[in-house]
Amino acid sequence: MKRFALIAALIMALAAGFGCAKKTTDDAVAPDTSAMSPEMQAAIQQITDERVYFAFDKYALADEYKASLKNKAELMKRFSTIRVRIEGNCDARGTQEYNLALGEKRARVVYEYLVQLGVNPSQLEMISYGKENPAVEGTGEAVWSKNRRDDFRVTAY
Amino acid sequence: MWSKYCLAHLIVCLCALLAFPAHAAMRVDIYGPGQNTVSLALAAPLKGPAAEATGLGAELNKLVQENLNVLPFMKLTDPRAVLGGIVLEGAEPPKLDFNRFQIAGADIVVTALWPSGDSGSGVVQMRAFETNTGNRLFGKEYAGVTKKLLPEVADRFCADLLEALTGNGDFFRSTLVFSQKTGKMQGNLWIVKPTGRDLRKITNIKGEPLSPAWSRDGRFIVFTHLDHKSHALGVWDRASGQVQRIRFPGNTVIGPSFMPDNRVAVSLSNGRTPDIYLLNHAFQKERALESSPYINVSPSFDSTGTKMAFTSNRLGGPQIFMKDLSSGAVSRVSKGGSYNTEANISPDGTLVVYSRMTDYGHRIFVQDMLTGEERQVSFGPGSDEQPSFCADSYFIAFASTRGGGRSIYLTTRHGGEARKVPTGVGNASFPRWGLTGGGGKGK
Repeated sequence: MKRFALIAALIMALAAGFGCAKKTTDDAVAPDTSAMSPEMQAAIQQITDERVYFAFDKYALADEYKASLKNKAELMKRFSTIRVRIEGNCDARGTQEYNLALGEKRARVVYEYLVQLGVNPSQLEMISYGKENPAVEGTGEAVWSKNRRDDFRVTAY
Repeated sequence: MWSKYCLAHLIVCLCALLAFPAHAAMRVDIYGPGQNTVSLALAAPLKGPAAEATGLGAELNKLVQENLNVLPFMKLTDPRAVLGGIVLEGAEPPKLDFNRFQIAGADIVVTALWPSGDSGSGVVQMRAFETNTGNRLFGKEYAGVTKKLLPEVADRFCADLLEALTGNGDFFRSTLVFSQKTGKMQGNLWIVKPTGRDLRKITNIKGEPLSPAWSRDGRFIVFTHLDHKSHALGVWDRASGQVQRIRFPGNTVIGPSFMPDNRVAVSLSNGRTPDIYLLNHAFQKERALESSPYINVSPSFDSTGTKMAFTSNRLGGPQIFMKDLSSGAVSRVSKGGSYNTEANISPDGTLVVYSRMTDYGHRIFVQDMLTGEERQVSFGPGSDEQPSFCADSYFIAFASTRGGGRSIYLTTRHGGEARKVPTGVGNASFPRWGLTGGGGKGK
């Protein structure tokens, strides 16, 4: 019985280590695309390249981003191992606690749209960084408008 | 760390009211619309008749002077203005000459007597007298005083004196916690006395702590812990010095705050929008305190736990609201401006402080809940944010970029000149007050 349990534990450990084809990525850096198929590379690039931007203190999804999101949805349905984190961000003008909530609303509106388009919710996660992770440093509307955004980060593929 | 608190506790135990009852004739009204100013003279510390205490006594007087200088309603009398000098024949009447202090313009004179000398460890008797009547306002003996404990003794004396004069000495019993940013989504929590003493880092975490808040007993600090992957509720325990990290479904944790019974309220995702939830003592969701299809963040509570100020965008832009937790009634607090956030209610429940976005950055405003009047208490430059009331409902700490980087400043419910709190290198934000001084708490 003990021997059986040991073998079972070993099998589980091996499965955990090697049995899954899914790869997770380091959160601080972009995924290493060198070892993946060209189709997967292209899909990841399209998913992460196109951001969604918002008006000040707003979280309504503008029509101009819907085509891009439809494309992301199709890619995620085709490559079902891809996991994406939607990262909601705000510009530097608002205050931090309110901006964390606003960032969540911005991430959620895109999450819900992708799910509506048929993306499996298990492929998606959300986080709000509020104003803690600006894409561009500085002040003025040209800078602020680039920071009121959703980023898309592939966390597994 | 605990040994310091044990020693401090020992002082409290050894502390005894001096034999004579104080005549609480003088009262300084710092809460009314016209704030009084009081002039105070520090007599030279004595170890005997006309014998100046130049050891621990001199050091303690210097610390007391630094402390009292922080109070905007207190003016310290220049010792050079005291004819005949500040070295006295005795620390109390009849050997205490009040006239010389009265002539110098002092309303109050403070004396310190080290009856067994001030080298090594010892006992110090601190007294405060009204100069025009000679009435003793305050007197206390502090025993077991060592060089290491001098800052603690200075804080205790100043808390006791402030309590005798204004009815509340919590300012000197408080410690500020704040977040020190070291990079993008990186930082740690630090604590410092509002006087600038005892600055130290208390966490060593990856990611960034936001919105720290003390428990009412001064043992725990909760905060939003943000890193690239997740939000979590961080819980720092003073007893262990360790941080526990608690995650919630929805990956949203914003602006935690302690209720008076040590339970935590925090904004968590309800699957649609961040709402304010009450957690039980095991940090599990207990029930929603405020739920709506809109953003609800930044809860803060009065000392009874029946009033909750918070920020919501239910009327379009973010505004400040008050919820009566007994009746469930919600009323709007901020009336002016289109962007008011970061509500913080005074412990006595009479005032709400918040930041308002203006064309020149954020500014701090105070709303009087009794009269409905709003008063601007900060004027930049830069941006003034994250206001927080001290337990005395008088002092307000806030973060400001007026000096370039972000630093912590103090002002009062009446406004006036803001005073910077030294916080070392790096951007400091989210100052929050906690009562950590031990002993009796203020009214």
